[in-house]
Amino acid sequence: MIVVKDLKRYYGIGETAVRALNGVSFEITKSEFVAIMGASGSGKTTLLRILALLDDATDGIYTIRGLEVSSLPEAERSFYRLTQVGYVFQDYALINEMSAAENVYVLSMMEGKSKKESYITALEALDKVGLKEKHDRVPGELSGGEKQRVAIARAIAKKPDIMFADEPCANLDTNNSKQVLDVFKELNEKYGQTIIMVTHEPWHVEYVSRVITLEDGIVISDENRQNNKISPK
Amino acid sequence: MINDIRVGALIAYCSIKRGNKKTLTFIVFVLSLIFLNLVFLPSMIGGLLGMFTGFIQDYPYGDIVIEPTDGNAYINNADNVLKKVRAVEGVRAATKRLDVGASINHKQKVVGVMITGMLPTEEYDVSRYPYIVSEGNFLSDLSRDEIIIGAIIAGTGHGSEIYDNLGEVRPGSFVDVTYSNGVKRNYKVKGIMEGTFEIVDLNALVHYKEIEDVYGLEGKEATSVVVRVTDQGTETRVRDKIREAGVNEQIFTWADKSESLIRQAMQSMGAIDIMSKIVSLIVGAALVLIITYINVMNRKKEIGILKAVGITPRSIVVSYAFLSTFYVLLGIFAGLILYFTLMLYFQANPVVFYETIEISPVIDHVLLVQSIVTMLTLSVIAGILPAWSVSRESILKAIWGQ
Ligand SMILES: Nc1ncnc2c1ncn2[C@@H]1O[C@H](COP(=O)(O)OP(=O)(O)OP(=O)(O)O)[C@@H](O)[C@H]1O
Ligand SMILES: [Mg+2]
Repeated sequence: MIVVKDLKRYYGIGETAVRALNGVSFEITKSEFVAIMGASGSGKTTLLRILALLDDATDGIYTIRGLEVSSLPEAERSFYRLTQVGYVFQDYALINEMSAAENVYVLSMMEGKSKKESYITALEALDKVGLKEKHDRVPGELSGGEKQRVAIARAIAKKPDIMFADEPCANLDTNNSKQVLDVFKELNEKYGQTIIMVTHEPWHVEYVSRVITLEDGIVISDENRQNNKISPK
Repeated sequence: MINDIRVGALIAYCSIKRGNKKTLTFIVFVLSLIFLNLVFLPSMIGGLLGMFTGFIQDYPYGDIVIEPTDGNAYINNADNVLKKVRAVEGVRAATKRLDVGASINHKQKVVGVMITGMLPTEEYDVSRYPYIVSEGNFLSDLSRDEIIIGAIIAGTGHGSEIYDNLGEVRPGSFVDVTYSNGVKRNYKVKGIMEGTFEIVDLNALVHYKEIEDVYGLEGKEATSVVVRVTDQGTETRVRDKIREAGVNEQIFTWADKSESLIRQAMQSMGAIDIMSKIVSLIVGAALVLIITYINVMNRKKEIGILKAVGITPRSIVVSYAFLSTFYVLLGIFAGLILYFTLMLYFQANPVVFYETIEISPVIDHVLLVQSIVTMLTLSVIAGILPAWSVSRESILKAIWGQ
């Protein structure tokens, strides 16, 4: 579903340019749950932002379902982000003045769904992350793990092709992290959601089906995990 | 676009509903002051101009004044003119007057004045002269050797210190009047009039017959015919009708007169008025711009997030348009409350100039509507601009500052 070929991203120009990605290639098929790992500064965030269409590659090819998305004009990329791509931020990135439901629902409205339809979609998504009951709370009234789950609900409400998450558990304790990872796992197994998650916690790999490891902007290992049995840390 | 508007409305609604109420109150307060600034001074200036024109109507010119054709000293058939005028529909009252120059003499003091000869009983319907006699009484039909003197020349009115005056003239005092043709008469002062308007308080009034007598006129001449209309605002129409009725003298409305009289004053007032409006508008727009700018900067990350999850920049701009419209509407509303409170206050307690001239502001509805519309337009533009510029920034920059 996703094909990345020789992706490069340089910050700055000339000799002093930082080569955050220096020729990354891989393919990801539907329903994979991929962890991108690597040392700090290895280029994980840079890669994920390009994949989620939040940033542009300096060079290389990036296609989703055969469509070369890296060269789309901004308006279409915006539409793609809205309809095909879910992104979960490290710091939740919820709108503080909107309730859990509204945070999710605003995207359905953007897609042109009716108010009622949008609301139902939002509740469904919140149900999937186990937060249906707290749909009218604002972010300030939710725990970190709950906030992250609202952010996940927002990312999956549109039923995106791929969901991206950049260190979604970095701000969470082990308990909350597990809740979030369980949600990911369930989405992946139950609904076949493709997920690409950046993490540097070794125990997170227990949840995923594949691990891609970066170092200095290149892929140094890419392995499938057979049986993902969850073992507590 | 429909979706942009719906989403913009939702974002604006949430941010109003759950946003900081203190900030909202503060913004609305500032906006209400901006609005007040926009309408208050013009209302005061309007009150000032209204007062001037009111004087012009109430004393020398009425609503419409008929004067001799160029080159003639008198309207030669004043009674005939009066008859035609009174027959015109929309005319409430009319009278004739004779204005002449003279000097008044009292105990060695001499003051040059304009003396108006009038028919006392008719003046009650035409002017306010009969009602402003502060000491003594107004003229009667039998007042042939009596005179009414303006407070400034009598020496009792406010402002008399800066003009020549007769010192201590009271009702009952005797004065000698020398008319411009040299004829001298002795009058008993019947009353002192005080109109807090220099043209009035520097004037003197005698019976119409006196002037006729002194100048040897034959009962038909007048220097002016003063007309009052039934309904204010119909002056121009009535003037044209009077002309159609066959009056060939010069006919002016009070507006024609006041225009030439206080054109100067009006122009400088108007300039102040326009300048104050422009300044308030610029200050207002700048403030709204700053307020929204700070607001937008504080929510830069949020804007980036909204864009990152797929909300169009246009909806974000729309949401700020809604927000500023809402702020401004509240501000205008609060401003109107402040404005009307101030208007009530100043109408009950007019601002006093020169100790006697009271100016109460005039509520001008056209001005209010104009100001509301200008303020809305300007503020919405000033509100949208910062949102527009931030919404065009790259997502990475907005969220992560990169
Ligand atoms: N805006 C930028 N300008 C210049 N260099 C940058 C910029 N963003 C990232 N870099 C550099 O690019 C390299 C990769 O950064 P990236 O954020 O992708 O690392 P990461 O793997 O996500 O690290 P971490 O685990 O610490 O989040 C780093 O050397 C970083 O310093
Ligand atoms: Mg990172």
